[in-house]
Amino acid sequence: MNVQFKKGVLDLCVLSMLKESDQYGYELANTLSEIIQISDGTVYPILRKLATDGMVTTYLQESQSGPSRKYYRLTGLGKKTLVSLQQEWLTFSRSVNQIVGGDAT
Amino acid sequence: MTKEDYISNLRRALHTLPEADIADISQDFEEHFAIGLSQGKTEHEISAELGDPALVAATYFDEGLEDIGHTMKESAAHAAAAAAAASSASSAAKSYSGAPAASGSPAAYAGNGTQQVVSTQKDLTGARLFVILLNILLTWWVAIAILSTLFSFWCISISLLVAGISAFAALAAASGEWAAVLVLSGVAGILLAVATGILNFFLSKWTVIGTKAYIKWNKKLYNEGF
Repeated sequence: MNVQFKKGVLDLCVLSMLKESDQYGYELANTLSEIIQISDGTVYPILRKLATDGMVTTYLQESQSGPSRKYYRLTGLGKKTLVSLQQEWLTFSRSVNQIVGGDAT
Repeated sequence: MTKEDYISNLRRALHTLPEADIADISQDFEEHFAIGLSQGKTEHEISAELGDPALVAATYFDEGLEDIGHTMKESAAHAAAAAAAASSASSAAKSYSGAPAASGSPAAYAGNGTQQVVSTQKDLTGARLFVILLNILLTWWVAIAILSTLFSFWCISISLLVAGISAFAALAAASGEWAAVLVLSGVAGILLAVATGILNFFLSKWTVIGTKAYIKWNKKLYNEGF
């Protein structure tokens, strides 16, 4: 998949994945890399940026299997940003689909 | 690539960042390796999945991290200094889009950031007006009503207590049947005072909790908007 495509929506994907529950980096990286084929390492810079921008907070939690994990949780600002990014994405993807859409065949 | 090689390559590529940031980032990758290993993967597999450390490091710079600390300080200073919401929005927007542009990252994020900042600022005017009007028009009177009710309840408890105690005080001057009446009314007064006192204590406590929650809600509304 086109790298430029992915770059624009990674924030939205990460924020969306944190909507339901807090997750740790490995989990996020694994899911994202499976679904949109990015390398796992790309997720950490995004998480760090989201944290610096106040979209997420982090906390450490012990785990039964293995080392303690850094969990990421959406902040109020993160939730608000998610909603507006979601709307933008839906509008945008609908518009693009109108141009690119199946009718061309 | 082994874990050690991977992390040292990553650190080398990040060397222009402050040491605290490098340590923090390395920690994230240490954790990633540790979890991967505990799930039965090899260090080489994990390294391959993570992707080229130089590219990962570049992504940190791409996200404008080296500018972000500066940007946030700058916009915080602006926000504090600028009384007008509009001027703080425009300066925050400027410093926001300035950071990624400097490191040549995609403009898409800067666009989102700017929009977010501007719309938050716009919302705030309405929210702040709402908070101020709400407090002037409504809260003030509700607060007086609640506080005076509480005050009168406490007065009732205290006068019951005083009545009970004075019944006992009057005991010295009384005799026969009157003494029994005084003892009974004294005990009744004090018991009622204690009972209403406990009730009042909880009512006061809830008032304090409610007030705190209300103040918190006001602050949130005032600072973050609806």
